[in-house]
Amino acid sequence: MAMIDLDKMLAKVKSTQWSLSDIDWDAPGADLITEEQWPKLKDFMTDLMWIEHVGARAFAAMAKKAPTDTLREIYTYFHAEEQRHANVEMALMKRWGMLDGDELPEPNINLRLIIEWLDRHSDEVPVYVLGTVVPMLEIALDGALCKFLLDTVDDPVCHQAFEKINDDESRHLGVGFSVMEMQGHGATYIKTVEMAAQIANPRVILGIASYFPLLNKMRDNVVAMGLSEEKLYACMEKFEKIGGRTREGRSNPWFQIIKFHSRWMVDRNNKFYHVPVDALVKATSYIPRKLLPAVPSWVKELTYEPTA
Amino acid sequence: MTNATPSRKPKTPAKKTPATSVKKHKPATVLIVGAGFAGLGTAIRLQQAGIKDIVILERAGEVGGTWRDNNYPGAACDIPSNLYSYSFDQNPDWSRSFSGSEEILGYIKAMVKRFDLEKYIRFNQNVSDLAFDEDQGIWNATTDQGDVFSGRAAVMAQGPLSNASFPDISGIEKYQGHKVHSAAWDHDYDFRGKKVGVIGTGASAIQIIPELVKDASKLTVFQRTPAWVVPRPDFDTPDWQKALFRKVPASQSALRKGLYLAHESMALAVIWNSPMTRLAERLGRWHLKRQVKDRWLRRQLTPDYRIGCKRILVSNDYYPALQQPNCKLITWPITRMSENGILTAEGIEHQFDCIVFATGFDVGHSGTPFPVRGAGGRKLDEEWKRGAQAYKSINVAGYPNLFLTFGPNSGPGHNSALVYMESQIDYIVKGVKTILDKNLKTLSVRGEAQDEYNSKIQKRLAKTNWNSGCKSWYLTEDGVNATMYPGFATQYARQMASLELKDYELIPA
Ligand SMILES: Cc1cc2nc3c(=O)[nH]c(=O)nc-3n(C[C@H](O)[C@H](O)[C@H](O)COP(=O)(O)OP(=O)(O)OC[C@H]3O[C@@H](n4cnc5c(N)ncnc54)[C@H](O)[C@@H]3O)c2cc1C
Ligand SMILES: [Fe+2]
Repeated sequence: MAMIDLDKMLAKVKSTQWSLSDIDWDAPGADLITEEQWPKLKDFMTDLMWIEHVGARAFAAMAKKAPTDTLREIYTYFHAEEQRHANVEMALMKRWGMLDGDELPEPNINLRLIIEWLDRHSDEVPVYVLGTVVPMLEIALDGALCKFLLDTVDDPVCHQAFEKINDDESRHLGVGFSVMEMQGHGATYIKTVEMAAQIANPRVILGIASYFPLLNKMRDNVVAMGLSEEKLYACMEKFEKIGGRTREGRSNPWFQIIKFHSRWMVDRNNKFYHVPVDALVKATSYIPRKLLPAVPSWVKELTYEPTA
Repeated sequence: MTNATPSRKPKTPAKKTPATSVKKHKPATVLIVGAGFAGLGTAIRLQQAGIKDIVILERAGEVGGTWRDNNYPGAACDIPSNLYSYSFDQNPDWSRSFSGSEEILGYIKAMVKRFDLEKYIRFNQNVSDLAFDEDQGIWNATTDQGDVFSGRAAVMAQGPLSNASFPDISGIEKYQGHKVHSAAWDHDYDFRGKKVGVIGTGASAIQIIPELVKDASKLTVFQRTPAWVVPRPDFDTPDWQKALFRKVPASQSALRKGLYLAHESMALAVIWNSPMTRLAERLGRWHLKRQVKDRWLRRQLTPDYRIGCKRILVSNDYYPALQQPNCKLITWPITRMSENGILTAEGIEHQFDCIVFATGFDVGHSGTPFPVRGAGGRKLDEEWKRGAQAYKSINVAGYPNLFLTFGPNSGPGHNSALVYMESQIDYIVKGVKTILDKNLKTLSVRGEAQDEYNSKIQKRLAKTNWNSGCKSWYLTEDGVNATMYPGFATQYARQMASLELKDYELIPA
């Protein structure tokens, strides 16, 4: 596939903006959530909302580092759009009576670690590292989770909201893969050296240390909700297929790394990967929340209110 | 507002006289458009040179330009008053180092009295067309009021920042709440207890916000790009200083000279990328870090372009104001406006009782505020389509006897506009005197001289911070800098000090 025209994409993004008030939050259908579904759905929505929110923060970091003005502006919008998704998901939770007053639901510890990492380090990480990880997260987590949600939940308002969200996400993916291909252009040798340097970058190591357990933890959560593990993995394979469809995409060293990583992740028999990472998941669950610094203030911008 | 017309281009008055009853006035020696600092200063210096047959056309009912229109709460100059005033009319009584709008307007009005300028001014005359009559060798200015005023020479002093601009936001006309532009303040509107939005975070906004936050129940500030903000050394003038200035005027001139040199040295930081630029950026970052503790807010307020690329702002109370409990900074892109307020891309509608547009002015990079027609009916806006050009910022080939103030590439980034203005005004006096002394029908700059001047200037501009990649109102859509002067004020003054006759074509009357 030819690379997309980013200027046209920006125009498209600008012309397809929507807002929370486009959705009738009091429309009938909220009672279609079954009593049995409710507690698991609550946890699920909490994770989903936080994933959108960390995705938002990652786009903010990418906007800062974007190589062109157009891309910077696109990422600035994507940052806001991911925030919009998080807001919408919070509004759904509100609709389903899952919010404790005005309280933000607590993120799980792995997400909490990612938030911490994004806050401290993401602005300093080269854009091509995030530019590869983010499409992966979008496909695997957003993609799989949303699909699952729509298969299980009957509330029409939820379907209406996710139709809009998915339209946005498809643009995020288009740009994500296009940028991956852009980065794949040119001398691979230099890229590999640069990449090797990045892998030794303590910020990146820390990021990896937060990201791996997040994925395994999400897998566990998803399985607990009744989604087949295979569905999640099918999504991760989609990343490999789309990202690897062109030579440029394939020659992006970060694509290669993440591809291998997702293969390990999908292969439950790969004990070298899963034993330590599952151990990490377990270990992180013992981190006392008190030890973590206060949540950064960007987290407090989430809201379920369509108007302010 | 009283009779001070808002700086927006006034709508055509209802009582516009039909074209058939055009009122032609006897030609003056010099016709000036605009009674702001530039127009009035020109009149003073012409008068001092013995040229007293002057007509000044002013669209508003009052003098003052920028300082008549920009009287929003907190409006003040950001160049010290002792430098932001005319050297030929120094004021020992400035109450503070950076005077407020009202005090500056008072200074301008006092100047009009002292030099008895009122007799030259035709108020409420909005120039809609300026055309050169080659046979007669006179410029004719047609006004919306149906008058035609003429002059042997014409001076365009209609101001670089005099037409308020509204942002290009879709649905802006749908908004039903109150709207106020910073350059046409509504002093009758009571902001107390209101939900107020401010669009823009430029020079005017950072002065308005600290004032509005005191009154509004909730103030929401919409920022597109953060600007560099440095501390402002503002203080009240001690009485002894005023007394000293009055008794020993030389001491005020000395202070002025010192301020001038201090600002000149800032050119090193502002105009070119130098170690001083780094230093200035450090000052900006230090100021931010000292005043803003929250990391995310600080990130939102940190500029991502080189200092000097756009106008540097000075303020001590802007960052603290943003952190008041009733204030909120929004950096999400604005997507549209609705009946109730502003929608941003994170999906939220921000509703307001009143929206303040601190969104600046229409700056004509590539046009003219009204049609200007020169020799052979040529049109200035057409020639300037790809970026305005002039000779030494002041004359344009094909437009004889016409002088521009704040013409192309005369903008200061680091020093008082009035310093540049004085150089321009004295040049205009020289030009007009040449026309009179040699009894010329036309004095026209040669095209080659203009081209040569411009290619040099553009070469020098390429090396400046303004052309270092940020988008600013200094640049045209295509990135041509037709606004700023790439050098020290001293260099500019030197360039303007002599009128080189070899660069002009002189045709006797
Ligand atoms: C808020 C603000 C703060 C500023 N602070 C500083 C500062 O600190 N330091 C600095 O150096 N510069 C500053 N400036 C720049 C400032 O514009 C100049 O310093 C200076 O005041 C410009 O004077 P002027 O006479 O050229 O234009 P203006 O003051 O704008 O005067 C032009 C006059 O022409 C009239 N006019 C316009 N069009 C027509 C027409 N078609 N027909 C008839 N009359 C017309 C207008 O009504 C106006 O009275 C500031 C500008 C603004 C807006
Ligand atoms: Fe998302």
